[in-house]
Amino acid sequence: MNRHPRARWALAAALAIVLSACNQYAPDTIFGAHSQFGHDVDQLTRRLLYMGIAVFVLVETALIFAVFKFRARPGAPPAVQTHGNATLEITWTIIPAVILAFIAVPSIQTIFRTQSEPPADALQIEVIGHQWWWEFKYPQYNFTTANELYVESGRPVAFALKTQDVLHSFWIPQLSGKRDLISNRTNHLWFTPDSIGAYNGFCAEFCGASHANMRFKVFAVSAAQFAEYVAHQQTGPVYPVPVDSATAVKTTAAKGAKPAPAPAPAPALTAAMTNTGTWPLDQLPKHVIPATPLPPGSVDTVAGDAARGAAFFKTAACIGCHTVKGVSFGVIGPNLTHIGSRTTIASGLYPNDHAHLVAWIKNAPAMKPGSQMMALGMGAAAAGGYTDQQIADIAAYLSALK
Amino acid sequence: MATIVAPPSVARHQARYETGIWSWLATTDHKRIGKLYLYTSLLWFFVGGLEALLIRTQLWGPNGRFVTAETYNQLFTMHGTTMVFLVIMPFSAAFFNFLIPLQIGARDVAFPRLNAFSYWVFLLGGVFMNVSWLLHAAPDAGWFGYAPLTTKAYAPGINIDFWVLGLQILGLSSLAAAFNFITTIINLRAPGMDFMKMPVFTWMSFVTQFLLALSFPIITVAVTFLMLDRFYGTNFYTIAAGADPLLWQHLFWLFGHPEVYILILPAFGLVSEVLPIFSRKPLFGYSVMVYSAMVIAFLGFGVWAHHMFAVGMGRVADSAFAIMTMLIGIPTGVKIFNWIGTLWGGRLRFTTAMKFAIALIALFTIGGISGVMHSSPPSDLQQTDSYFIVAHFHYVLFGGSMMGLFAGLYFYYPKITGRLMSEKIGTVHFWMTFIGMNLTFFPMHFLGLNGMPRRTWTYDANQGWEMSNQMATVGAYLLGAATLLFAYNWFSSMKKGPVAGNDPWGAATLEWSIPSPPPDYNFAVIPTVTSRTPLWGADPGPGPVTYPAPAGNAAPPKTAAQLHITMPTATIKPLIAALGLGVMFTGLIWHKNMPVMLAGAAIFVASLYNWLLTPLEPEHH
Amino acid sequence: MATAALADAHAGEHHYTSTGLNSNKIAIWAFIGSECFFFASLISTYLIYKGKSVVGPFPHEAWTNPATGKVMPAILNIPVTSMSTFVLLMSSLFMVLAHAAVVRGDRKYSKIWLLATALAGATFLGFQAFEFTSFVHEGLGLTTNLFGSTFFVLTGFHGAHVTAGVLWLVTLLFIDYKRGLGPRDAINVDICALYWHFVDVVWIAIFALVYLIR
Repeated sequence: MNRHPRARWALAAALAIVLSACNQYAPDTIFGAHSQFGHDVDQLTRRLLYMGIAVFVLVETALIFAVFKFRARPGAPPAVQTHGNATLEITWTIIPAVILAFIAVPSIQTIFRTQSEPPADALQIEVIGHQWWWEFKYPQYNFTTANELYVESGRPVAFALKTQDVLHSFWIPQLSGKRDLISNRTNHLWFTPDSIGAYNGFCAEFCGASHANMRFKVFAVSAAQFAEYVAHQQTGPVYPVPVDSATAVKTTAAKGAKPAPAPAPAPALTAAMTNTGTWPLDQLPKHVIPATPLPPGSVDTVAGDAARGAAFFKTAACIGCHTVKGVSFGVIGPNLTHIGSRTTIASGLYPNDHAHLVAWIKNAPAMKPGSQMMALGMGAAAAGGYTDQQIADIAAYLSALK
Repeated sequence: MATIVAPPSVARHQARYETGIWSWLATTDHKRIGKLYLYTSLLWFFVGGLEALLIRTQLWGPNGRFVTAETYNQLFTMHGTTMVFLVIMPFSAAFFNFLIPLQIGARDVAFPRLNAFSYWVFLLGGVFMNVSWLLHAAPDAGWFGYAPLTTKAYAPGINIDFWVLGLQILGLSSLAAAFNFITTIINLRAPGMDFMKMPVFTWMSFVTQFLLALSFPIITVAVTFLMLDRFYGTNFYTIAAGADPLLWQHLFWLFGHPEVYILILPAFGLVSEVLPIFSRKPLFGYSVMVYSAMVIAFLGFGVWAHHMFAVGMGRVADSAFAIMTMLIGIPTGVKIFNWIGTLWGGRLRFTTAMKFAIALIALFTIGGISGVMHSSPPSDLQQTDSYFIVAHFHYVLFGGSMMGLFAGLYFYYPKITGRLMSEKIGTVHFWMTFIGMNLTFFPMHFLGLNGMPRRTWTYDANQGWEMSNQMATVGAYLLGAATLLFAYNWFSSMKKGPVAGNDPWGAATLEWSIPSPPPDYNFAVIPTVTSRTPLWGADPGPGPVTYPAPAGNAAPPKTAAQLHITMPTATIKPLIAALGLGVMFTGLIWHKNMPVMLAGAAIFVASLYNWLLTPLEPEHH
Repeated sequence: MATAALADAHAGEHHYTSTGLNSNKIAIWAFIGSECFFFASLISTYLIYKGKSVVGPFPHEAWTNPATGKVMPAILNIPVTSMSTFVLLMSSLFMVLAHAAVVRGDRKYSKIWLLATALAGATFLGFQAFEFTSFVHEGLGLTTNLFGSTFFVLTGFHGAHVTAGVLWLVTLLFIDYKRGLGPRDAINVDICALYWHFVDVVWIAIFALVYLIR
C-alpha cells in the first residue's frame, strides 16, 4: 500500500463515501422500524445487507488481490494458460446457491407472516388515493379525514387501500413496507405500531405532476389519546365555537366591515369537542414539519374573521368539492370538518397556519403543480376572483374548525 | 434478399454512392452502419447526460425550484428512455454491426440493406421522440409509462403520444436487427468456426438477439394497446370498462426484464474480449460463460413480476418470483468469478480498456448484490420505488453496461479508425468516471434506505437527505466533465493518435488479423478456423512490450475489384423506407391525418417492394 | 495465377453458408419465433379480459342492454366462422401443392395452386370483413367494451398478416407469369409457405380459444 499512494487515496475516498452514511440524521429510515412488520422486514434486510457486504468484501478482495499480484512488471512470470476448472465452477455455483437458500427461506416465511390475515380487533382504515392527496376513512368510527393519519400504538391497524384515479403507493418507511393503490382493486396492508411517534408518509408510485408533493403525516398515539381523537373526529365541526350558555362571547367584526350575521345557536359544549386528541403542536419533531417555501409574492398579512368566513363559505366555490360535516357535502377534495387541528395542509406540503391557508386558497396550482383545486384569488382565470379579505375570512373559518 | 430479377441500372448508381454524404446515406456496409450507430449514440449520451445534470441540479438541495415539476417529470422520463433505448442499446448495436462479421470471418451481415434500414429507423425513432422537447411536451410519465396515468384520461396532452409512437418505431429497428444478426451468426460463420469456437462477444450478442426478438413483440403489443386506447378509444387500459391496470405492468415487465439482460450481455461480451488479451491468457471457463448466458436469457423471461412486489399479487406469486429471481443471480455471479479467474495467474497490462473492464467486475458486483437484496419481497417492500432501486440500476447500467461499452470503445478504437486513443487522457477519463460514478450513485443507497422515494421532483428539508443528494450532484457533474474528455480524446486521436496497424494489442481473434480500419470486404480470403483464439498459438506470449505497439508501415490493402470480390450494392432504398415510416407516424401524431399516414405507408410499401425485388449484389458471370 | 486462384476461392465463398440453409429461411424462422410472442401476448390479453366486459354484446351469451331493454344475442357465429376456418386450412394444402409444383418445375400447376392459395386467403378475408361489419351493425365496435377491443385487435392483426400473405402470393404469381418460377425459386416459395402455414396455425389457436371454448 505504501508503494501505491494512489491506492491509498482511492481507499480513503471510498471509505469517505461509505462512512458518510454513519451518524447521519435519518428520521425516515427503514431501519429501527416501529412496528412488528417493520421489525420483521428490518431483520430480513439486515441479513441481506450483511450477507451482501460479506460477498462484496470477498469478491472485491479477490479482484483487488488479483489486480495487484498478477500485474505485469519486469521479472513477473508469464501467464499460466488455464482454460477453466470444473471443480471450481461447481464450487462457486453451489456456494451462492446455498447462500441464496439462507435468504429464500426467511424471505418466504416473512412473506407469509406479513401477508397473513389481520387480527379481528384491528383498527380498520380505508385509504383512498387521489391525485395528489390522501383520504382516510375510519369505518368503525364513522368519520373521514385526510392527509393525517392517527393510529393507536400497540393496536394492529389494517388498511384497505384503494385509489380514485391512477396508481399510487402507500409508504410509511418508519412503520412498514409499502403497498400500491391499484385502480379497481382493494389492496391490504396491516401492522402493529409499537411506540408513540410522529412519522412521514409518502406516495411511492409515480402519479403525475405532484407525485413528490403527495405526502401525509402519521401519528401513533396512546390508547387514551386515540380515544380522544376518535371522539373528537366524530363530532361535527366545532364552529360556531361551542360555548357554555352562561358565558357568551360576542364575535367582533373588523372595523368598517358589515356587521356579522346573527350567530347560530351554540351547541352544548362537550369534552369531545374541545379535546382534539391531536399531537401537541409544540411537540412536533422537525422532520414532520414541512419546510416547503411559499411561492414568491404569496405572503399575506390580512387578518380574517371566522364568522364572516363561515357565512361566506356556505356560498363559496369550496362547497362544490369539500365536506364540512353538516355544512357542505363535496367529495372531490379533502374533508375539512376538522382541518383546523391538522398540522399540515395540501397533503403534508405546507404548515397549517393562516398565511399558508390564505396562499393556498388564493392560488393552489401555484402552491402545488397540477392541483385540481382552482385558483380562487383575484386575477385568477378560474371561477375565483375572491378578494383578499374574503379569502382571509375563509382561512380564519377553516382555522377555527379544530 | 430474394435474388429474382437483375435490373441493369444497378451499376450506374454505384459511382454516386462511393464518396461523400451519399456514401453514408446509401451505405450497406456493416462497418459504416456501426459507425453511424456509434456517433448517434454518443450524441444521445450527451442529451441524456444533460437531462441527468438538470435533474441533479434540481435535486441539489431540498425544495429546489431550478425546474418546474412538469419539466422535471419530462426530464426524468426522457433521461431514462434516452439512456435505455437511445444510448446503451445502440452503442451495443454499434458493436454488433461493426464487430460480429469481423469476429466470425464474414464479409458482411446476412441482410445488409435490412441492416441499414435498422439504423435509419433507429435514427428516426430518436429524433421523433426528442422533437417533443421543441414543443415542451416531452413524455412525462416515466420510462415505464404505467397505465392508467398514460391513458388519455390522465395524460391528455401530446407527450405520451410521442412516447408511444417513438417506442413503436424503435422497436421495429431492434426487431429487424435481431433477425439479421440471428441469421448472420447462424449462417455466415467462417469454415471451421463451430458455435463453441465463436468469440464470446459474438456469443453474448447472439443470446441478446434472441432476447430482442422475443421480448420486443411483447412491448409492441403493450404499446399498441396504449396507442389504440389513446388514438382510437379502445378499452385495454380503461378502468371504467373493466380493464385491469396490471395488464400494462405485466406486459411491460415481461419485456422489461429481458430488456435488462439485453442491456448488459453485450457489455459482458466486450469485457470477455478485453480481459484475456491484457491478461495474456484465454478466458477462464468459456463454456460456462456461454451456457450461463443462455440460462440467464431463459430464466430472464420468468422473473418479471419482481418489479411488481408492491402490487399485491399474493403470497404464492410473490414467493415464486422471489425464488426465480434469486436463481438468476447464480449464473450471473458465476460470470464474475470466471472473469476473476481470467485475471488470476495472468500477466496483467492496465490499458484504459483493461481498466474499464476491471471496473465492470467491481461495480457490477455491487449492483448485483443490491439486486439480490431486492429479490426478497418483504424487504423489497421497503426498497422498491425508493432511491435504493435507483442506486441498484445505475450500478448495473452505468457501472456494468457503460463500463463495458467504454472498454469496448477503447479496445476497438484502433480497429475502427486505424489509430490509437491517447492512453494518458484515457486514464484521466477512467478515474474521473470511476470516481464520479461512485460519488453519484453510492449515496443513493443511503437515500433509499433512509426513506427517499424516487421519481420525485423535490424533497423536503429535515429528512436527512441533503448531504447524499449533494454528493450525487457533484458526482454527476464530474461524470459530465469526464464524458466531454472522452469525446475530446475520441475525436482528436483520429488525427493525432499513433497509427495502430492490424493488431496493436497482441489480440487473439479474427478481427485483429486484418488491416485497421478494415477494407470494405473485410477478409481478402475467408479464413478457415481451427481454434477459439486463431491468432494465438499454444501460448499468446507476453504481448507487445509497450502499448501502443509501434505499427509497421503496411501497404494499403487491395480493393474488392482487384481481388474479384463482389460486395453488396449501396442503395438509398432502406433510407426511403424509413422515411416512409416517419411520414406515416408523423401523420398519426398530427391529429391522425389520414392522407399523410397513407402517403407514408405508400412510400414505405413501395420502397420495400422495390428493395425486396432488387438483388443485393450485381449478377456476375 | 494468383488472381484466378482468388477468383476460384471467392466463387466458393459467395454461396458458402455454415448450415447449408438459405439465409432467408433462417430469417423467416426467427421472424416466426418473434411473431409467436406477438400473438401470444394478444391472445393472453384476450383470455385475461374474457368475461370481464362491463357491457355487452358478449361472445357466447346474450345480453340485455339495461338502458334500452334491447336484447343482444351472443354475437359470435360459429357455423360461419367454421366455414372460413375450413377455407383457410384448405389454403395451406394449396400452398403445399404450389410449392411442390414449383419444385418439380410444373409451370401450369404452380400458377393454379398459387392462385388457389391466394383466392382461399382472400375468401377468408372476405368472411372476416363480413363478420366485422355485421358485428358493428349489431352493436359491437372496437370501443364498445373489452371484448370488442380485444377481439377486433386480435383478429384484426391476424387479418393484416393474412393480407400481407395474400399480397406476397400475388407477387409470386405475378413473377410466375412474367418470367416463370422454376426449381431455383422454390426456396422463395418455401419461405412464403412457412409464413402462410404460421398464419394458419395462429388462426387455429384463435378459433379454438375465442370461438370454440366458452
